[in-house]
Amino acid sequence: MSAVAEQSGGPLVSRRRRRLRLLRKRFLRRPMAVAGLLVVVFFVVLAVFAPWIAPYGYGATDFNALLAHPSAKHLLGTDELGRDELSRIVWSARASMQVGFFSTMLAMLIAVPIGMVAGYYRGWADTVVARVTDVLLAFPFLILAVGLAAILGPSLMNATLALGIGSIPGFIRIARGETFALREEDYVPAAVVNGAGDGTIIFRHILPNMTSTLLVQATVTIPQAIVGEAVLSFLGLGVQPPTPSWGVMLQDAQSYLSQAPRLAVYPGLAIVLAALAFNVLGDGLRDILDPRTTR
Amino acid sequence: MAEPLLEVADLSVRFDTDDGQVHAVDRLSFALAAGEVLGIVGESGCGKSVTCMSLLGLLPETAAVSGRVEFGGVDLLGLSPRRLRQVRGRQISYVFQEPMTSLNPVFTVGRQIGEVLHRHLGLSRGAARKRTIELLELVRIPAPERRVDEYPHQLSGGMRQRVMIAMALACDPQILIADEPTTALDVTIQAGILDLMREVRERLGTAIILITHNLGVIADIADRVVVMYAGRKAEEAAVHELFAHPQHPYTIGLLGAIPRPAEERPERLQEIPGRVPSLAELPDRCAFADRCPRADAACEHVPPLHLARPEHVVACVHPGAEVHA
Repeated sequence: MSAVAEQSGGPLVSRRRRRLRLLRKRFLRRPMAVAGLLVVVFFVVLAVFAPWIAPYGYGATDFNALLAHPSAKHLLGTDELGRDELSRIVWSARASMQVGFFSTMLAMLIAVPIGMVAGYYRGWADTVVARVTDVLLAFPFLILAVGLAAILGPSLMNATLALGIGSIPGFIRIARGETFALREEDYVPAAVVNGAGDGTIIFRHILPNMTSTLLVQATVTIPQAIVGEAVLSFLGLGVQPPTPSWGVMLQDAQSYLSQAPRLAVYPGLAIVLAALAFNVLGDGLRDILDPRTTR
Repeated sequence: MAEPLLEVADLSVRFDTDDGQVHAVDRLSFALAAGEVLGIVGESGCGKSVTCMSLLGLLPETAAVSGRVEFGGVDLLGLSPRRLRQVRGRQISYVFQEPMTSLNPVFTVGRQIGEVLHRHLGLSRGAARKRTIELLELVRIPAPERRVDEYPHQLSGGMRQRVMIAMALACDPQILIADEPTTALDVTIQAGILDLMREVRERLGTAIILITHNLGVIADIADRVVVMYAGRKAEEAAVHELFAHPQHPYTIGLLGAIPRPAEERPERLQEIPGRVPSLAELPDRCAFADRCPRADAACEHVPPLHLARPEHVVACVHPGAEVHA
């Protein structure tokens, strides 16, 4: 009896909470996704609290320990200027996370409205948007970003812009395709007959129905941007020394590969770990948000 | 009839397609009085939905609509998109056939009805919520204060159709157009929805245009019936008159095709031979002639609508109850 009552109703507030609880349960059943989330959180914490977490400042030199091996004083050793490797890795998380999140947000803010409007109205404007997107997608992402960064000039800000712009075509294609499909749903004419205008239909009825798709695309784009930042910085088109970034560290390590290969290994591992964590998290999110998932 | 609420005159709808023009509706006229339930019957593709959608400007741009639709002193066909949006859902509401998918899955019922209230009446969130609960109560949804916060997937098909009707009634419209509102539902739930519509008419005085291919539904609830065939009006009469004295051979055929309980049933259900003509080439003669047992040389031109009996209009040159051999 009480079980039936529980099933059919219960206080109303708990309904949304119950859906969240279900999603959490599904999420917790995926150990890889949970691990991904933990690592992502770990890097975000490193980035935000770098001054408190890093044992030394990113520019602090210890001339008594140049290219030193790992020791109690310098857990991961030091580089050719005696800078603490661990501290620089921690500080570098800032550049990576900033570029990852902001370039993705930038791309979404620009691409989603364009893609949705194109997909909703169709017609010649849509054809133009779709073809231009196809052309841009034909460029490898990194080539596009390197080209843009070279034009804009080297800085963290410009690297963010370049990687953000480079991510626009992917988001446009997803937003357009989703809108294409969702505008055929019956709730669209139902909104029309209740007096809704196009703007209301696009942004209040269709957009909320594609948030999970966009979320998953974001978790794919962020690691792409993190790797992209490392590449740009490595090439000297991103973060400028002395500000550290994993790409800058790789670039510095290049000259000492034979003496101290670990200088390349640690930032390399950080890049791989950060990118992998976002990808794994994205896979998990895609799985649990898919309504066909039953587990 | 007193001054009609809605008057449709010479409504024609033509679609320009790749295969040429399709005449979906051909010079259709009818009127709707305040508080009246008008049934529009006909088989699939006879133009009944297209007719009603054209009233609110819901057809795609490939449709060429002509004629006049007088409502509240204005011609609806001449309204700007902005003015039309103010009419839609406010003065004339529309309920579709698909209750299962017509609600947006990511919003609660309350929020979707609230959106309409906010748009047309400018109600605040709190006031909209209160009114939404009243509306859910009006459409006989049990425990409305709980249902208002539920998502569409938590409701059954019949419930969802009730929610759609509640949404359509939110702003107390003068006309409710119901496009096959019960077709997708179980028979018992159908009956409940029809009861509800009857009640709405009685309590709120809303005029209803009911589109259906189900004559049983018409007999149940309509005051007056328009029978459509191939985009034209075949017959129009009060519901009792039509069922008692059908004049058009098509209507007679339809009535013969209704399944009845065993004791009054003939051996076999009657069927109408042949099929609906293609609308691409509306013939310059009676569209039903090819399937009609009474067809003769007189049917070679479009039959004019005329009074066959008092307040009973028919477009047939051989009207009447008996089949002439």
